[in-house]
Amino acid sequence: MSTMKTTRDVKGVGVAIPRPDGPEKVTGRVQYVGDIKPKGLLHAKLLRSPHAHAKIVSIDTSAARALPGVRAVLTAKDIPHLKKKAPTRAHAVLAIDRAVFMGQPVAAVAADEPSIAEEALDLIKVEYQVLPASIDPLKAMQPGAPPVADAGTEADTSEALAHSAVAIAKSEAPAKAVNISQQARLQRGDVAKGFAESDHVLEKTYRVPMVHQGYLEPHAVLAEWDRNGLLTLWASTQGSFNTRSEVSDVLGIPENQIRVIPVECGGGFGGKIRALCEPITAVLAKVTGRPVRYVMTRREELIAGMPAPQVIIRLKTGVKRDGTLMAIDAETIIDSGAFSGAVLAVSAVFIGSMYKWPSFDLRGFEVLTHKPSVAAYRAPVAPQTIFAIESHMEQIARDLGLDPVEFRMRHLIQEGDPMVNGQPWQSNGAKQVLARIAEHPHWKTRKQWVAAGKDGRRRGVGLALGGWLGGLQPTGATVRLNPDGSLAVLTGQVDIAGTNIALAQIAASAYGVDTDQVRITTGDTDVAPMTGLSAGSKTIYTVGAAVLQAAEDARRQTFEIAAKELEASIHDLELVDGKLTVRGMPDKGITLATIGKKGNLYMSKTPPVLGKANPAFSQQAPGFAAQLARLEVDPDTGEVTIHDFVVVQDVGKAINPIGVEGQMQGGAVQSLGIALTEGLLFDDSGRLTNPSLLDYRKLTAADLPNLETIIVEVPSPAGPFGARGVGEPPIIPAPAAIANAIQDATGARLTELPMSPERIALALVNGTH
Amino acid sequence: MAKQILQCTVNGEPVEVLVQPYVTLLDALREDLGLTGPKEGCGTGDCGACTVHVDGKVVASCLMLAMQARGRKVRTIEGLGGVETLHPLQDAFVRHGVPQCGFCIPGVLMAAAALLEENPRPSEEQIRYGIAGNLCRCTGYTKMVTAISEAAGMLASQRSAR
Repeated sequence: MSTMKTTRDVKGVGVAIPRPDGPEKVTGRVQYVGDIKPKGLLHAKLLRSPHAHAKIVSIDTSAARALPGVRAVLTAKDIPHLKKKAPTRAHAVLAIDRAVFMGQPVAAVAADEPSIAEEALDLIKVEYQVLPASIDPLKAMQPGAPPVADAGTEADTSEALAHSAVAIAKSEAPAKAVNISQQARLQRGDVAKGFAESDHVLEKTYRVPMVHQGYLEPHAVLAEWDRNGLLTLWASTQGSFNTRSEVSDVLGIPENQIRVIPVECGGGFGGKIRALCEPITAVLAKVTGRPVRYVMTRREELIAGMPAPQVIIRLKTGVKRDGTLMAIDAETIIDSGAFSGAVLAVSAVFIGSMYKWPSFDLRGFEVLTHKPSVAAYRAPVAPQTIFAIESHMEQIARDLGLDPVEFRMRHLIQEGDPMVNGQPWQSNGAKQVLARIAEHPHWKTRKQWVAAGKDGRRRGVGLALGGWLGGLQPTGATVRLNPDGSLAVLTGQVDIAGTNIALAQIAASAYGVDTDQVRITTGDTDVAPMTGLSAGSKTIYTVGAAVLQAAEDARRQTFEIAAKELEASIHDLELVDGKLTVRGMPDKGITLATIGKKGNLYMSKTPPVLGKANPAFSQQAPGFAAQLARLEVDPDTGEVTIHDFVVVQDVGKAINPIGVEGQMQGGAVQSLGIALTEGLLFDDSGRLTNPSLLDYRKLTAADLPNLETIIVEVPSPAGPFGARGVGEPPIIPAPAAIANAIQDATGARLTELPMSPERIALALVNGTH
Repeated sequence: MAKQILQCTVNGEPVEVLVQPYVTLLDALREDLGLTGPKEGCGTGDCGACTVHVDGKVVASCLMLAMQARGRKVRTIEGLGGVETLHPLQDAFVRHGVPQCGFCIPGVLMAAAALLEENPRPSEEQIRYGIAGNLCRCTGYTKMVTAISEAAGMLASQRSAR
């Protein structure tokens, strides 16, 4: 097998290659769900509850049904398999007798035109009896709070499982409080003694609101049934097999009767993992016998999408005067909205595991409220958690007069150190990225740069470190040799960010051809090998591993055929420029095209080359990123201007530097949005007060400088060519880095996101330190 | 409501199409003319995914009624490059690997094209303001700004070579 492992001199891994579907994307030819228009298409619209919590007394759909052009009007009564106790948001297709958040679907319409469907919504009469609502998670936790779930509160940990983010070491028995759906506690050592022996005790509460992923393409799906009862869904999804399973479960249809075609996905960031509008669209298509398309509006996305949870972290630390860590005590409250599904364990692991705390007591609660239920958003709960711990570490260093980098470095974990859940840290580049960012001239010259501020504007420099454990999921891939000597790679991987070109590069390097000889296809659920989600920073780490193994399998088969044809030992063969030759005998050879053709000839005895791999995984590859901001604060208005922003990230091996940089830059800007401008704002009645992109501000090009990216490569032991996941780490550190820079500039310690001009200006007036 | 006849020029071709008077230009382009390059990301003019040119000016086509385009020249992403060749902006976007999910890209390119027609050699800041009406959630804008700047340089040198 030594032949298989030689370094191949091909244009493959490590080369910056633009994605081959770029021309389709820049010419507007790429088709998203909303661009597909089959004959007889109907348009769906949903009537949504105007109340956060209300009993549905009656629904009258007669006028809507009578409107010309309306083909179906559905309420929960028309879908008999809907259960009153919906375990997930996807199962709550339409509200049965009670709406539990403002924007919950109550009735559905399919009509010839979107405008007719909208008119029909206006004709549906719903009588509500408004009930008291639990909006604030802290109040929702109290005894006597209005209950959210129907009968008892059940945890849905499938999101955590889907991300396979962290093992939950210890869960407590179901809680007594009515709206607490998950709770966990991790303890080690004597925390009380640790605090008693500390010289410096710091306690702060950090708050991060619900934020929306903001994928530019709203949720969309097209459903059609054939005469054999086969349902086809053209879906904007991060995982077609996952969508198939969820729709099957919700509607009680066998999975083999559902085909999910993953159409080009206009962004997901975790928000398009779970099913949302697929089940109701499928039902509308069933009852009308026509193809039905549902495209959410942006307003619907903001009101009733599946945002990231609100997170409140009360953090207390004790350290010695010299910075020795003694004890950490934390309480994390995650507002999951109306259904359970937050990744609770991530918070405890990163609060307690990034630095080596000898004693800890970490408690986490998932709380249900009458608000839209949450889902993953790129590194779920990590940016919120790191905002707390990295703000806190900076404050400790500042209080004790310690160098913030040296203080972190002294206590930072490395491979083998135990996490709070008892598992050991896998190989990672945490120390390397922190060291690398501390070498940056912007950090080394920070005092001079700050001193050079003028016009009354205050300058500050701040940094923070963040990490992600890396997701895992079994997956499959095939690699086929074509009769022209090129390779065809097949997976079910949804390519959003440009992962397919990187997978092609992996196949090229593993097989021994240039990347331009590899074409990769994302198959639908009928044809592709079972493939996991595009989520959790695991596409390259897991699907890449499958592609690598499948390509090595194909190479081995190719070499066996060539050895037979050339009557040579497999160990004497080499593959160069699409031709296998016997080493030292350049004239004795056979081309890949010849082998490929022999596999497709009538009466040929040569088997067609088909490499396959279907691995499962157990070893995670944590990815760390450090970010640095140089910014100015206008003390009168609280406005922040970011002058420079640096992203340093350990990616293990940059398979395609273009894609890696794109992830680092895009993730950082999403992180900066969470830091500075974003937040879903609910009033006391549970009404969203900023349901448009005018009032919910995402960062634009004019808000930002060019971002500097520095790639660090600490190879992961198990990843393909040493690669680690790249997607999540860059969204994690910025809120803390910005908070630390704002403190450097103004002396004010901001503990609530977003750090809007109003909050900063108020902190300066109130002298929050 | 009775449909009305919309006559205008789209991507250099005269078109005549029946539309409802309440239909937006975006919907007319997408649903009636089959030009699905312009996207609806918000429907309220905040995201820029629907950006097209009307008489050479940038317009959020989700905020304009189709009938307001009567007698005017509309250009969409489908009319930016040639059949075989990419516009230098499109070419730069491909080479720099700008598109990720790609949903914002048609709108960003139309905003950038209008900017370069008005200001052939924009500064980085001018580019950033030129595409400030276009949200992108994948790229972080850095590669986008670099690609637009490079395309501006290429267009300028093409012009001076003529």
